[in-house]
Amino acid sequence: MEKLTKNFTNRDELVTYVKSLAPWSEGERSYIQGGRKKADIKLSNIDPVAYVASRNFGDGKITRLSPYIHHGILSLNEVRNHALTKCSDPIEIIKFIQELAWRDFWQRVLALHPDWAWNDIEPYKTGFTANDYADTLPDDIASGETGIATLDAFIKELIHTGYIHNHARMYLASYVVHFRRVKWQVGAKWFLRHLLDGDLASNNFSWQWVASTFSNKPYIFNLENIHKYFDKLVDTAPNLNKPIDASYEELHRRLFPNLGSSS
Amino acid sequence: MSQPLILLHEEALRTSHPVFKAALQGTRAIFVWDDDYLQKLSYSLKRLVFVYETLCELPVDIIRGDTVSVIKELAPSQLYIPESHKPHIVPMINRLKLITTVEIIKDEKLVQIPDTTDFKRFFKYWGLAEKTASLRNGGVDA
Repeated sequence: MEKLTKNFTNRDELVTYVKSLAPWSEGERSYIQGGRKKADIKLSNIDPVAYVASRNFGDGKITRLSPYIHHGILSLNEVRNHALTKCSDPIEIIKFIQELAWRDFWQRVLALHPDWAWNDIEPYKTGFTANDYADTLPDDIASGETGIATLDAFIKELIHTGYIHNHARMYLASYVVHFRRVKWQVGAKWFLRHLLDGDLASNNFSWQWVASTFSNKPYIFNLENIHKYFDKLVDTAPNLNKPIDASYEELHRRLFPNLGSSS
Repeated sequence: MSQPLILLHEEALRTSHPVFKAALQGTRAIFVWDDDYLQKLSYSLKRLVFVYETLCELPVDIIRGDTVSVIKELAPSQLYIPESHKPHIVPMINRLKLITTVEIIKDEKLVQIPDTTDFKRFFKYWGLAEKTASLRNGGVDA
C-alpha cells in the first residue's frame, strides 16, 4: 500500500508522474484540465439561452462541462440550478435541461439493464445482422487517416484533446458503424479510451442509438450536414470528402442495400 | 480501533457529494489508484491526468494498490461509497461488502422519478421528468 503524492510544482511534473504510474497508457495530456476550480470557471461561463439556439453548431455556445459532470466534479443538479439563474423563464433553457436529462436517462437505463451496456439491445435495423459487422477498428480510423478530411479532423481532435462536439461524435459513430460496417461496441470502446467525459452509459447507449440497436432506424449523415454545422471549422471541400458527398437517398441505397427505399 | 472510511471512485470526485454528509465530519476519504482496474479500462494518459488533477484538489488520500487489499489492510469499521452503476465498479463494491459494512450513497437527483421506472425510450422518460426537471433541486425543497 503506497500513498501517492499530490504535490507538484507544475502540470508537466504531474503528467510525468501519472505517466510513471501508468506506463501502459497511450497518448499525451489534454489541454483540458481536471479539478473543481476549472469546473467552476466553466460553469460560471455557461450561457444556456445561447446554448439552446446554437448547440448543434461546431462553434455554438456549448458548455464543455461534460468531463466534469462525468467525474462527479459537478452534479447534474448543480448545473441545472446554476442554469436556472441565467434565464428569466425555465422554458428558455428547456433544451439545455433536456440535455442534462439525457445523461440522467442513460444512467437509469444502465442501472436497470447493466447487461445492455455491451450487448445489442435490439437487432440492427440496417438489413444486416450483427455478424456482418467487423470486430476490430480499422487502423486508418484509429489514427485519423481515412482520407475524409472532415472526419480525420474530428478524429485528431478526439485523440489530442479528449473532447469533440456531440454532433461530431454522431458523425464518427455513424461512419464507423454504417460506412465501414464495424460493430458499435468497437467504436464505443475507442471513444471511451479517449473521451475525458467517456461515460459508459451515455457513450454506449448513444452508439447503440446511432447503430439502430436502440432506436428505430440507423443514423446517417452526409457532407452537406457537416458543411451546415461545421463550415470554417473543418475542410468541407467535396474532393476531400468524396465518400460522404452524396444525398441521403443515395447513401441509404449504398449503405443499406437490403432495406430498399429510404422513404 | 478501526474508523469509518469514505471510498471515492472516478464518478464522484467532489466534496459536495452526499457521501461526505452521510459519513461523520472528519471521516478519512481515500481514492485507490488500482493499476489493474485502470489498465482494464484502457484509459489514455489524458483521461488519467484529468482524474489525477482532480484528486489533487480534493481532501483525499490517493493510495496505490489493489482495492480489496487496501480496504482489508485499512479495516474500516464502515465504508461509505458513492453509488455507481458502472459494470467495473459494481462487482468491486460487492467484493468489499464481503469484508466490511458498506453503505452506498446516492447522488443528488436531477428529477423526481422512481429509480425502478423502466422507460426504454427517452421521450417516455421525459414525459414524467419534465415536471420537476426545470425546478431548483428538482423541486425537493419547493
